[in-house]
Amino acid sequence: MANLTTCVDGVGDEPLARRRLFGRIARAAFGVTVIDGVAGRLAAAEQKAAAARGGVNLIYLMMRGAMSHLDTFDPKPGRDEQGETRAIQTKTPGVWFGEHLPQLAGLSDRVAVIRSLTAETGAHEQGTYAMRTSYAQLASIQHPSLGSWALHVAGKASRDLPGYVLVGNGNEHPGCGFLDPGVTPVPVADPALGLENIVRPAYLSETNFRRRLALAERIDRDFQRLHAGGQIAAYNQMYKDAVRLLGSVDLEAFDIAREPEPLRERYGTGQLGQGCLLARRLVEAGVRCVEVELGGWDMHRDIFDELPEKTAQLDAALATLLSDLGDRGLLDSTLVVLGTEFGRSPAINENAGRDHHPAVFSCLLAGAGIKGGVVHGASDARGHSPDRDAVTVADFNTTIAAAMRLPYAKEFHAPNGRPFKIGGGGTPIAAVLT
Amino acid sequence: MIRHIPQQPAVWPPRLAIVAVACLLLGADDGRRGRGGRPQSAAGLPAAVTAAPPAQVMEVAAVDRGRRDAVVVAARRIDDLLATHWREHGVQPAPRLNDEQFVRRVYLDLAGRIPTYDEVTAFVASREAAKRAALVDRLLESPDYVSHFYNFWADILRLTERPQKTLPFEPYLYYVKDSIRTNKPYDEWVHEMLTADGRLWENPAVGFQLRDFGMPLPYVDNTVRVLLGTQIGCAQCHDHPFDHWTQKQFYELAALTSGTKMRPGPQPGQEKPPAGTRRGGAGMRDPEAAAVRRLVQEVRRETERPGAVQFVLANATKVTFADRPLALPHDYQYDDAKPLEVVSPKVLWGDVPQSAATADGRARFAAWVVAHDNRQFARTIANRMWRKVMGVGLVEPVDDFRAENPASHPALLEHLTDLVYELDFDLREFVRVLVSTAGYQRRAVAYDHAAAEPFRFPGPALRRMTAEQVWDSILTLVARNPWAVQRPTPERIAAAVSIDVAHADVATVERAFDAYLAEFGPGRYQRSLQQVCGYRGQLLMRASEMPTPLPLGHFLRQFGQSDRESIEGGRTVATIPQILAMFNGPVTHAMLQPGSVIFDEVTAHRPEEAIDVVFLSILSRRPKADERRIAREEITTAEAPAVGCGNVVWGLLNTREFLFIQ
Repeated sequence: MANLTTCVDGVGDEPLARRRLFGRIARAAFGVTVIDGVAGRLAAAEQKAAAARGGVNLIYLMMRGAMSHLDTFDPKPGRDEQGETRAIQTKTPGVWFGEHLPQLAGLSDRVAVIRSLTAETGAHEQGTYAMRTSYAQLASIQHPSLGSWALHVAGKASRDLPGYVLVGNGNEHPGCGFLDPGVTPVPVADPALGLENIVRPAYLSETNFRRRLALAERIDRDFQRLHAGGQIAAYNQMYKDAVRLLGSVDLEAFDIAREPEPLRERYGTGQLGQGCLLARRLVEAGVRCVEVELGGWDMHRDIFDELPEKTAQLDAALATLLSDLGDRGLLDSTLVVLGTEFGRSPAINENAGRDHHPAVFSCLLAGAGIKGGVVHGASDARGHSPDRDAVTVADFNTTIAAAMRLPYAKEFHAPNGRPFKIGGGGTPIAAVLT
Repeated sequence: MIRHIPQQPAVWPPRLAIVAVACLLLGADDGRRGRGGRPQSAAGLPAAVTAAPPAQVMEVAAVDRGRRDAVVVAARRIDDLLATHWREHGVQPAPRLNDEQFVRRVYLDLAGRIPTYDEVTAFVASREAAKRAALVDRLLESPDYVSHFYNFWADILRLTERPQKTLPFEPYLYYVKDSIRTNKPYDEWVHEMLTADGRLWENPAVGFQLRDFGMPLPYVDNTVRVLLGTQIGCAQCHDHPFDHWTQKQFYELAALTSGTKMRPGPQPGQEKPPAGTRRGGAGMRDPEAAAVRRLVQEVRRETERPGAVQFVLANATKVTFADRPLALPHDYQYDDAKPLEVVSPKVLWGDVPQSAATADGRARFAAWVVAHDNRQFARTIANRMWRKVMGVGLVEPVDDFRAENPASHPALLEHLTDLVYELDFDLREFVRVLVSTAGYQRRAVAYDHAAAEPFRFPGPALRRMTAEQVWDSILTLVARNPWAVQRPTPERIAAAVSIDVAHADVATVERAFDAYLAEFGPGRYQRSLQQVCGYRGQLLMRASEMPTPLPLGHFLRQFGQSDRESIEGGRTVATIPQILAMFNGPVTHAMLQPGSVIFDEVTAHRPEEAIDVVFLSILSRRPKADERRIAREEITTAEAPAVGCGNVVWGLLNTREFLFIQ
């Protein structure tokens, strides 16, 4: 319990000082190395520098339910398949988007659109899993998601904040897969609420919190020894990370209420807009990877009634994210990805909806390592199949890995000995990489 | 020589002082005190929760005590098979559970919660012969059992109150719970759901077919996956490269049930009628469809109330069946048939039983699924229930039976399948046999699903509690009455929703809709629950009775409760928000309130018994000597004994031992 009384900096900033002190106490209680004062500041500076040198951040927007390509980034104006969604001209000559994406149309010079993605499965769960991990879902192994790979290879950029945050439902997320539980994403259910339960009840003093932690550890020792490894180890790690996080001075990164109201509105007040704003704050504070989910794209019925609102959310959130990151000089070090599990059928069904369509669909890349104003690949006239430059999910994810400067060609071995590659061993798309 | 035995610290105040100090310092009232330093009642536990539970929560079908010997015999046959398996694979079985470990495990596995202090101490002290069997029997006929197995099925059947914005599914949810309560034989239950007709509140079993409203192909996929442990979903779009199901087979199977109508008139989700068949005729002539159309048009024209049209459509939603041809998709690409060709209905394997051979397609499908010579039906549920009890299926995943994915112990799986038949699909009796095996009553062993070797069951697999088990266990420490509220009955929903579509006018619809909104409108029902058992934004009631799906940030969702959109979407993975909820969340602290079960239990005992009470209440065991020393040290050195005691409570809750089922 060394140095509890020394080096409490931030004089005059009571909560800050208290939190730092508390963080140290907690770390000491857990036997984590105590970094104090000057040494601590040096370490922090060193980490920031390391982040600036090597790390590319990732903000991944995952459109759950399968986003229709014809109605967003691959319209087929004049065809019956196009239905009620009109096409609009983008800033890039000859490139058209769906009419509900006017802001992104104005930013087309900053993004690369892939129009020839093709997936192996038309089932949501398996499709999303493949997009996140680059591999087909198996019972015998859980593959790591891209963000976990990035942390595994490049490390965290912030000491106390998590390296990977997931805005949305964590249940189906493959998380760290077979990698160390320390690279598991931290789920944030509601971006407007941020991370909940981070404030201790008023009656609970720091001293008592410390005593409680120490007690739990001592009493649990036998149990943890008996069942060492596996899920128990994952929980041990989570307890350590939670304590470290509570001691962090950067927790306000999770609080989007600190952003000016006009900016919050520009992002859009829905889950996606607020999630993108949270993602920007987190990346700024040193979180390396953020995934933001937006569900509700599974439009089997009345698609033209449901699309405008959903697509407008996407338009505002992504366009504002790109310009906000650009304004802050973060777009050079942050890769922004828009992904979805597969596309929707060109044929409009009896209920005025579109069904699942894995044969071809569109995704989008922007920011670090990506050429703007590029359209890669094309679907055929109906938007049914790739016409040229078909891109597999592995190719797409390998391109992400390449843009993030991760070693996509290297073989990593899972605990069971099987070899895996970040991105799934695809070929990076040279045409969209800088 | 005088040995100092620190039996009772001299500094401990008498019991009353503990209570007083506790209220002030540990009372978790978060500083929100009224005048005079007394805790405000608003911050306290709701009266309905601290009250004694009702004399009878629900009437559960009785367990047959006369079968106890038969259960023992059946359990022994399973143990013999396990023993052979261990010998063949050189596996050392885990140690037997002692009474404290057993009572905790069996409560969690059958009642879905940890046992109370009284339940642990009474069981351990009991000298009854066969007391374990007696406890199992008691638990299997308790409301806790119904609640826990409801949660189990809710995860599998994707039970949610509004799978469609318009449809009130509460009657179906109630029906599932009630089928468990009455211990309906599984084959009967399934057959009932597959063939049910009518409106949700008239015949709630229709919920199973309505869950995939308007999606006849995914309905078949999901049904086969859940009931027959077989995945044919890929064949919906193409022949599966690694599996032997073809797209044509998928359509042939789907053709059996594709005539299911969800409402009168044209059906949502059905492909266009095949070429050569008449279009629209039936819908136009159907007087019921005409009445619905008339009322919808009137409502749309004359009322501004959003949702009123959907309210009418909910009333029009009624499952019926009449055979209807199904055609292959327009882009069918294989040689064995042409695009848009009508397929003839056909089951995946075996035959439709003679008794149903001339019935309609849906009835043939249902009869085939539950037929006694369709062994895969019994095998799937045997494997599923084995996993429920032992933590790992003999086939994993339980819904992916394939030749390439064989059982880890085929003889045992076939034996269990026979047992399902022997017990006439009485799943509760099946579980009774499984928990009576010596194999179950062994210490849990960590299981790595990625390991090269399959799990050999030296004991059950070590599992984290499900989200519902964590919640209901914490509730056990807080609420004397966790049953303040139960799910609404179909009768209550019917009273709120039902209108006579054929004769209603717009004024009737408006009146009924307003009344419905007042009771079940957005947030209304939740608010009414808050008034009964709300505590700082949480509802202190059993997980099974709560509105569903819960919002993402809810404690249950943080701990991995399913969104009820994917089959078995529940997870037990570690995340940071779970830990933060355990550290600082309102539920953990509810138990430090006067009136909580554990608070009252501690203060009802002599101070020197407090440590035992806390350990027995939370971990279901007495402390070991060193733990007792650690806890005592904490209590005597804290700023006040009550604070120390609160720290011990919190400390035990935040152990892995609490969260995992040993």
